[in-house]
Amino acid sequence: MRQTVRLFGLLLRGYVRDRTALFFSLVVPLMLMVIFGYLNLGDFGRVSIAIDDQAKNQASRQLVDILKGISTLNLSEQSTEDALTHLKRTELDMLVVIPSDFVIAPARPGQTVPQLTVYGDDARPQQVAVGRQIIAQVIDRLSFAVTQTAPVIAVKDETVQGVRLRYVDFLVPGILGVNIMQLAIFSVAFALVADKQRGVLRRIMATPVRVTSLLAAHVMTRLVIAAGQVAVLLLVALVLFNVTIVGGLGPLVVVALIGTILCLTIGCALAGRATSENQVPAIAQLITLPQFFFSGVFFSKNAAPELIRPVTNLLPLTLLNDALREISVQGATIWDVRTQILGLLIWTVAGFIVAVRLFRFEKF
Amino acid sequence: MPPIVQVNDLRKRYGDIEAVRGISFFVEPGEVFGLLGPNGAGKTTTVEILEGLRRADGGSATVAGVDVFRDPSGVKRRIGVQLQASAFPDHLTARETVRFFAACYDLVVDELALLRSVELEERANQPQDKLSGGQRQRLSIATALVNKPQVLFLDEPTTGLDPQARRNLWDLIRDIQGRGTTVFLTTHYLDEAEILCDRVAIMEQGNIVALDPPRKLIDDLLARGFSKPVLQQKANLEDVFLDLTGHELREA
Repeated sequence: MRQTVRLFGLLLRGYVRDRTALFFSLVVPLMLMVIFGYLNLGDFGRVSIAIDDQAKNQASRQLVDILKGISTLNLSEQSTEDALTHLKRTELDMLVVIPSDFVIAPARPGQTVPQLTVYGDDARPQQVAVGRQIIAQVIDRLSFAVTQTAPVIAVKDETVQGVRLRYVDFLVPGILGVNIMQLAIFSVAFALVADKQRGVLRRIMATPVRVTSLLAAHVMTRLVIAAGQVAVLLLVALVLFNVTIVGGLGPLVVVALIGTILCLTIGCALAGRATSENQVPAIAQLITLPQFFFSGVFFSKNAAPELIRPVTNLLPLTLLNDALREISVQGATIWDVRTQILGLLIWTVAGFIVAVRLFRFEKF
Repeated sequence: MPPIVQVNDLRKRYGDIEAVRGISFFVEPGEVFGLLGPNGAGKTTTVEILEGLRRADGGSATVAGVDVFRDPSGVKRRIGVQLQASAFPDHLTARETVRFFAACYDLVVDELALLRSVELEERANQPQDKLSGGQRQRLSIATALVNKPQVLFLDEPTTGLDPQARRNLWDLIRDIQGRGTTVFLTTHYLDEAEILCDRVAIMEQGNIVALDPPRKLIDDLLARGFSKPVLQQKANLEDVFLDLTGHELREA
């Protein structure tokens, strides 16, 4: 441990002296965030939703009127039959059917609660998720209004019309997760492979240093840089996109850093057998691309074949994004996302063991 | 005293190429031992096996009393190495570089004293990548001495240095020998071997073809009736060069 800390101190000192590298390590996440954010906002900023109001009573009108007033939603009233046709042609993101027995009242034991039926377009998972979130929030607050109970979450003063959840609020945790993965994996993998090519690792491995100490020191060094990068990513999200983090910044940062450590160990593992810097992007894509597609950031998790879905739900990026999103959007606490955190930690330990096993210092 | 390096029937092959073909030799404590040979003769492979950096295919080797095959990290703790084609971590000063390697051995050392012993004290706070070739080789030797090694391995230490820097390094190597450290060096330069080494082994295609003190090898050759076709010059071009430019080290 003492050895790790000493090596870490010296590696970090060397790293921060490279002002150019330092500058770009902070500018790149800024760029990524802005590009990802604007690209996605421009195209998919609104959720188009159809409502089939089969109740047509006071409560259902109230719900529909409120939903109409929310600018994130592009709302139309259609029959279920028509809407399903549109949904299949992906002209709609989702359909909500209000049942004829719809009332707004708190649930009582033994009494059935009216069920809203929601159909979603699998190809547009974010839009569907945002729509669901908004409807759930509106109904929650309507119920609070009826029962006069205080909301559990501290949004008492906000009117129902002021539902703050926008598309970007849902998108940003995912972008944060993807960027953490990319930046962490690439930074440490390139650093290690460059050291291998220049013969630095050879020279170091001619001493009795432990591979675990050396790799841990590299992970710690990059973690400091990555913490700065996470700060930039969050700053952009808060300042430029005005994102609401319901669960608070603290838990979000904790999970983001755990995710960073995990991705750094993945970077170490893939640098193990790489013999030139040119191999790094190729190997990295092999690891990051499937996660990119299957983690539900930009594409539906359901796009994956049924057989491998249990696996995709356990991928590092899926766990990271789920945890980030639950904190950011649903106001989850660290304790609420403990299963995801546990998963991330298991991956981290596994990644580190693999990294130590695969470590080679020769460039051939 | 038992030999400090003992090698028996050492073998190593890369695919079809037999790089080392069953060599045996030993190194006495306190001597400067030279391993000579043309490129591709198997010198570096042999040295890297002894340093615990590479696995052999057969035979046995002990360094400083430790079996290289069984306990490579025990060997690494007892030796110092300077490698060909290696580099130091980025953006550290000379002093921090020494500290980095001390940390690799989990030791705390007097960095300035070590740098002084290789005449680099005044460069202690200079970035290591800004040092001249000769200075970098001396820093490299300083990093190899952090653990007070019993054997110092130097792989072609003077390649690429100017004549002044070479002579300066020779003095340093003799100085290290004078402090009781065994030095195991490989080189292309035969004048270097002749001046520095107590004994030399000459390698050719994976075999050791001769092993003796340089003087004895020369005498044996003469005894076999060898004579140089041209008369020995009383001075050569290097003497001219040093006469004109002096023995003083040139360092920017």
